[in-house]
Amino acid sequence: MRSTPWLCILVIATMVFMAVFAPLLAPHSPIDQTLRDKLLPPFWLEGGSFKYVLGTDAFGRDILSRLIYGARISLLVALLALTAGGGVGLVVGIVAGYLGGVIESILMRLVDAAFTFPAILFALLLAVTLGQGLGTLVIAISLLLWASFARVIRGEVLALKQRDFVALAKVRGCSEPRIMLTHILPNVLNTFMVLVTLNIGVVVIAEASLSFLGAGIPPPTPTWGLMVSEGRGRIGDAWWVSLIPGLAITALVLSVNVCGDWLRDRLDPRLRQL
Amino acid sequence: MAGFIARRLLQGFAVLVLVATVVFILGRLTGNPADLMLPEDATGEDRQHLIEALGLDGSLFAQYVAFISSALRGDLGTSLRMRQPAVEIFFSRLPNTLAIIPWALLFAMAVGIPLGVVAAINRGRLLDRAAGTIAVLGIATPSFWLGIVLIFLFSVELGWLPSGRMGGPEHYVLPVITLGAFLTAGFMRLTRSSMLEVLDSEYVKLARIKGLSENVVIWKHCLRNALIPVLTLWGVFVGNLITGAIVTETVFAWPGVGRLTYEAVIYRDFPLLQAVIILKAILILCINLCVDILYAYVDPRIRLT
Amino acid sequence: MEVVRRVGASLLVVLLAVVHSAAAAAQQPTGTLVFAVESLAAQTLDPMLEGRPGNAVYQAAMYDSLVGFDLAKGGIGPGVAERWVMAEDGLSWVFHLRPGQTFHNGDPLTAHDVKFSLERQMSPKSLAAAAASMRRSIESIEVVDELTVRVNTKEPQLGLPATLSRAVAPEGTIMPKRYFESVGEDEFRKKPIGSGPWKFVRSVPGDRIEFEAVGHSHWRGRPYFKYLYILQIPEESTRVAMVRTGEAAIASISPETVLGAGRGGLEVLTVPGTMQAVFQFYGTWRPSVKGDPITRPRVRQALSLAIDREQIIEHVMAGKAQMPRPFATFGFTENLSIDRWKKWSGDAYRYDPVLAKKILAEEGYPDGFVLKFANVALPGTQFMISIGTAIADMWTKVGIKVNMRHYEWGAFPPMQMGDQPNLTGWASMFRTAGRPDAPWRYNSAFAPDSTERLLGDKEDCQETCGRFLDIYTAVINERDPVKRTELNDSLVQLIAESWIVVPIIEGMGYYAVNKKMVGEFAAIPGRHELGDVFERIPHPDQKPWKN
Repeated sequence: MRSTPWLCILVIATMVFMAVFAPLLAPHSPIDQTLRDKLLPPFWLEGGSFKYVLGTDAFGRDILSRLIYGARISLLVALLALTAGGGVGLVVGIVAGYLGGVIESILMRLVDAAFTFPAILFALLLAVTLGQGLGTLVIAISLLLWASFARVIRGEVLALKQRDFVALAKVRGCSEPRIMLTHILPNVLNTFMVLVTLNIGVVVIAEASLSFLGAGIPPPTPTWGLMVSEGRGRIGDAWWVSLIPGLAITALVLSVNVCGDWLRDRLDPRLRQL
Repeated sequence: MAGFIARRLLQGFAVLVLVATVVFILGRLTGNPADLMLPEDATGEDRQHLIEALGLDGSLFAQYVAFISSALRGDLGTSLRMRQPAVEIFFSRLPNTLAIIPWALLFAMAVGIPLGVVAAINRGRLLDRAAGTIAVLGIATPSFWLGIVLIFLFSVELGWLPSGRMGGPEHYVLPVITLGAFLTAGFMRLTRSSMLEVLDSEYVKLARIKGLSENVVIWKHCLRNALIPVLTLWGVFVGNLITGAIVTETVFAWPGVGRLTYEAVIYRDFPLLQAVIILKAILILCINLCVDILYAYVDPRIRLT
Repeated sequence: MEVVRRVGASLLVVLLAVVHSAAAAAQQPTGTLVFAVESLAAQTLDPMLEGRPGNAVYQAAMYDSLVGFDLAKGGIGPGVAERWVMAEDGLSWVFHLRPGQTFHNGDPLTAHDVKFSLERQMSPKSLAAAAASMRRSIESIEVVDELTVRVNTKEPQLGLPATLSRAVAPEGTIMPKRYFESVGEDEFRKKPIGSGPWKFVRSVPGDRIEFEAVGHSHWRGRPYFKYLYILQIPEESTRVAMVRTGEAAIASISPETVLGAGRGGLEVLTVPGTMQAVFQFYGTWRPSVKGDPITRPRVRQALSLAIDREQIIEHVMAGKAQMPRPFATFGFTENLSIDRWKKWSGDAYRYDPVLAKKILAEEGYPDGFVLKFANVALPGTQFMISIGTAIADMWTKVGIKVNMRHYEWGAFPPMQMGDQPNLTGWASMFRTAGRPDAPWRYNSAFAPDSTERLLGDKEDCQETCGRFLDIYTAVINERDPVKRTELNDSLVQLIAESWIVVPIIEGMGYYAVNKKMVGEFAAIPGRHELGDVFERIPHPDQKPWKN
């Protein structure tokens, strides 16, 4: 009944493949410009050719190559941001949930504050202060994520710490850090993984929005968000510049979400509430 | 109950102070608005003079103290660019953002809830997957891209709707769709999961035994109960929307607070930036508080936290 | 006979009256002109509060400036003052005002208003960009009679009239003294009045400003449209969409959308000579970078030769830009041998990558070197980033390894302060606005006490820096136009041959126009915004576009 979503898995696998083997797969350099070849259409349209399978952008750069390298950046940003933001959120959630009391109060107020602070704004401020770049982007998006991870994990931990095996560990004299590490942590990993899959999409879209606002990774590095942003003025005539990376973003986020939903259903029906 | 509310208020205040401090520090770190107000060939003397005129001289600590003390009196400063009280500017633009939020939520509900019901009824089958995919399309499409494509299709090519700005009802259609598309998946997922729970529950079985038609069972009994958690999403989403409408407001030239915030950052308009963040935070904290009170009223266990 | 003649005469009078009133009726302003811009910046109708001159486009509709424009060439011309004369001793300027000007409330515009306005712009609370330099140069302002104003300067200021023209900054904007004094500053800001061809109706923050044409003729031209709406639409594709659907008649656009707009059936209007995109080298005179490749003028020249400007014009600027003249010089620059420099730059700024590589080898860098390059752009000029990206690629093709860093505009100026540690040894994108007065711009880039200090600072002013100071001092004291031109030429030559600031292209202002909503009109060269043009935009039936 809950059939495996093969299509989604295929899409994700393709993108990971593209990201890993980018230098081998891309027919051209993603940043080399050939201004004379600018705004050529994809091969199936008139004026297109197999030299630039998916056409070129305003600088004459091959869209396919930029798409392939862009996969690398998008996935790298997602990986780093989810590790950092998710990691921090995980730790905060466990500590707050398990230790309770004043520590929980303080940490949860920090989480509240993070929620009231507009995420995109934070990213903008950082971009403007630290300068645009991969590091700044990762920090900004991590700051976006940690609070929601923390809140959900804390909820899980609150329920978990009532369980018997935790009481048993306490009776046996395990220290609190040890309990958190060896008993709580493994049991929230399921939730954590589901959150990660759900948030990959958030990261990709956040990167695109920040590029639109001028706070993402600056050119000439190809990111899908930047490609969509750069091409948005030409939707009327050179629509492929914006549409193709836009479709890539949509496909990735869609696949990740559908797979994530399936994963969640499989791992623990209780998690449906997420 | 009163103790609960008092505790929440105190905590909310602590959060506010934290937010105010963070935005103060972060804002100052971004640079100096004087640099953006001067032409390329201004001299150092001109710059210094402008800094004094803007009230940005003096130590950071002194400025912070001045900021907090006037904030406590309700004065959040004067916008450096627009030379008006920042609070005034915020409240003149807030209605524009608030005007569009309920419609976006209604749109998302109108699409998301039926999809959720369909998905729940057909659980595990193709329709479930399909409904989920449609809903997730809303999250997966970057909103600025969606907005621009919608403008191109419906305004330029078809000429049915205006391209942007506030105005009559026809001006609301595209921004509402763009803003609401993002929320559809959330409503769909929540409806689906709470419907699934309700469908299994005792009184539904009773209704079926009583011989009521399946349609009545679903739409009359299940949905009503499934919707309770959905309403709490309003609280979460309104907060998101107030803070996150920057992109939509930019694309559709909607004069709301999202765009105001963006400009405050770009032009380093510190008083305005501080005011906007703090006021938005107050708004969101109020909404959260109301939702929490509602929950606590319904579920006494929560009052103890 | 007498009767016939009398009747005929009366009939003629009646006929003339009818024709006249018909003509007058035909000349009544009708319709609404809608103009979409990216940003209304501070959106303030108080000229004292608007720091950046370019943003004052909307103020130009309702206010006049003491000195106006040469509409054809683009430099300065008559404004509120019809003519102005410098005194024999050079220490004052006398401005003779045009008679018969009035403010929107009927008050006559006199020398008292001019004195009041200038003093207000110079006052300590003024945020006007040139307020400080006005205070430095202006000693006092006197009213000689109702239509004559004398501005006394501390030293001879040959460029004073230019600074009081909107061609440079809004400091010459004339505000109404009596009205201001009777209603006070706050009320003036809420309900401003000026003397321009449009009067203020209302301003909705973050959204739009509305004006209405005045009911009488105006020396700037009587508007053809009854209403003027200036809308703030931040997203460019939305602006273009609005022009295509007719929701706006004119929208400001950037080079990226020029092609698309043209294909969408819109007319693209270009305003020549509005700015130059340049790249410049910081701190090349500092001891810390002694021996660096960019300290050598020939290396910098090679970097210029490696740039294919024609390509950039054609592909990045969609053909809507021009080959540049030397730094900060344009077709309307005053006191300059325009033709000589046009010829010089045609040759100097050519594309010659072979020669570039040869020079690099001769200077000791046959395998290139690492160049640190800062890419930065004023908000709303995204094409600067594109140009920076394009030239970085062109440098890579001659063997230079470009280490490009991206800065947001607001983060850039602080780096120019002090010892410029983050910029010394760097090349950077930069720009200059189209102004008729070149020496002023040179001063702010090269003087030892300027912000940029590209040649040296007060403690360390070597050969080129010293020569700059000598020539510049001579220029500002020279009153004979012929000698002045010679001195300006040598100033330009000094900088051009040092290759410290290298122009890339001469940019333009770009507008998408819906031909069905407005008739043909021309912009003022060098004037980036359409302020001072709105009143001369006709209806399409009055002057249809020629194609």
